[in-house]
Amino acid sequence: MSAAGTKDAAMQAFLSESLFDELPMGAALIGPDKRVRAVNKRFEDVFGVFRGRICHEALKQTYQPCLSCEADLCLTENQVRVSDEILVDRHGRDIQVSVYYKPIALEKGGKPDHVLILASKLTETKRWKREFDRLFEHVPCYISILDRDLNIVHANGKLERTFGRADGASCYKVYKGRNIPCTDCPAMQTFKDGKEHSSTQEGVTHDGELTRYVVTVSPLSWGPDGVDRVIEISTDVTELHRLEKEVLDNERLVAVGQTVAGLAHTIKNLLMGLEGGMYMVDSGLKKGDEARLERGWDMLQRNFEKTTSMVRDFLSFAKGRVPALVPLNPGDIIDEVIELYVDAAKRQGVKLEHGKTPLPEPASLDREGIEACLTNLLSNGIDAASVREGGGGVVTMSAFDRDGELVFEVKDNGIGMDADVKRRVFTTFFTTKGGEGTGLGLLTTRKIVQEHRGTIEVDTEPGQGSTFRIRLPRNELVKLEEEQQQRNEKAKQYR
Amino acid sequence: MSDQKLVLIVEDEPDVSSFLTILLEDNGFKTETAANGRIGMTQAKALHPSLITLDISMPEESGLRMYHDLKMDADLKDIPVAVVTGITPEFKRFIEQHRKLPPPEAYFEKPIDKTEFIDVAKSLTGE
Repeated sequence: MSAAGTKDAAMQAFLSESLFDELPMGAALIGPDKRVRAVNKRFEDVFGVFRGRICHEALKQTYQPCLSCEADLCLTENQVRVSDEILVDRHGRDIQVSVYYKPIALEKGGKPDHVLILASKLTETKRWKREFDRLFEHVPCYISILDRDLNIVHANGKLERTFGRADGASCYKVYKGRNIPCTDCPAMQTFKDGKEHSSTQEGVTHDGELTRYVVTVSPLSWGPDGVDRVIEISTDVTELHRLEKEVLDNERLVAVGQTVAGLAHTIKNLLMGLEGGMYMVDSGLKKGDEARLERGWDMLQRNFEKTTSMVRDFLSFAKGRVPALVPLNPGDIIDEVIELYVDAAKRQGVKLEHGKTPLPEPASLDREGIEACLTNLLSNGIDAASVREGGGGVVTMSAFDRDGELVFEVKDNGIGMDADVKRRVFTTFFTTKGGEGTGLGLLTTRKIVQEHRGTIEVDTEPGQGSTFRIRLPRNELVKLEEEQQQRNEKAKQYR
Repeated sequence: MSDQKLVLIVEDEPDVSSFLTILLEDNGFKTETAANGRIGMTQAKALHPSLITLDISMPEESGLRMYHDLKMDADLKDIPVAVVTGITPEFKRFIEQHRKLPPPEAYFEKPIDKTEFIDVAKSLTGE
């Protein structure tokens, strides 16, 4: 035999006798009856000696066949299959392996009826990577990684299934179909200050459905110029938002019911006042009693005026409208309202003051609305201060900025309110003024404040006076103004 | 006349109170007024009127509370009460929920029928 022939024979011998054992993974051959026909050394090292046993006994230490047998599928489909599995080693420990199944025909040209199994252990890093990938793909949120140009570097499956192909496109294009970034972009904020930012956004899915989601943006990595990658995680809240709206609608219906009942009560009292007036005029005339006639006439006039003012208040309350914002100087509004009431207050023995606070910056407000609020609060303050024991009633109005909010404050040193009155003060038709009030003033005030996306609160103690505070977050006022601009632009387009 | 019957009018609305006062006085009654349930109870104890007209919805102590206190008071429970109110369901619900409380002797919805009101006031006071 030549030298070359000797080498070839040695190689053939290695291939047929030793290669199987030299493979850096466990290898086994499974026969048509699912029994293990052959295993390599590595396999035996890990799983023990199992030649002749059923494969699930050999690989999973169980007498129960697998629910879905990969070896069967491999033979049925006559193609290679790869799957990640948890097998059990000879010591009974779970091990994560990647298993490769290949159909084998022992006779040349025959039908494959054996399966070659190659099982390689997954390293920890690889396992984590796989788990991370699985989490990234299957987590029920939209996840994207953005670069400084707001382009999506990586997006998860849910995002792409909902909004369409995302890699490389800008986030505003993918989420909203916009061509320019959003004005309140939380990602831009994170790139700027390196902090986490959240906001609620509306997007459009690739099917054209409007969707609402809460997005949280966190910095992911830093480069020489600061944050260079951010991660955006968004949760779909469309359904939640719909439910919230449903609850609000229901509450509104209940409020309408209460309002109608309250209205009926107010009207009945007014009718009774008018009835009393008519009775006194009528009986005064019959008796020639001028004093009674005069009293009756006053009653009629008073109740007529009350009816007029109630209808006016009611209409202004019922008028659900979007505030018409114009840039205003808050200090000027206070001066104007004080000017309007200074004489009336003087007649009731009450002094009006413009509080000495650093004047706030101008803000975009609905002039008519804010004036109505301040007038309501001032008029209440004057009433409360006018009945102060020992006189000396003062109402102070101020406007100032605090913690990103524009604050209007109306403070009186009047009679104050107890807990029960305080609790009911913003509810429908509640009044402590007997026949004088319609109970709509503070309700209307609260509604206007809410239309400005602000809040109203009151600090009060019996005998210690009351302080009503309107708080308008500046960032909400800016948003409202932007929405107004968008509406105006849309209206222009339609025109 | 010294045998004029006294009616206590418990009502927060000044015009309604004046109207009932004049109407009752024109028909031979004496009257006293109270602007809320708390004052009303004090007056009822002090004056022991022949009839009480009671509004239900008042800002300070409500008419419901006063009605409850009157009917639970051994000395006052026999004074007839004419409820004069603008809110129907609330009072009816209140009476249904408080089984121990008797229904009021008379019940008027605002605005009242003057003749009927006086007729009932007379019959309740034995005039």
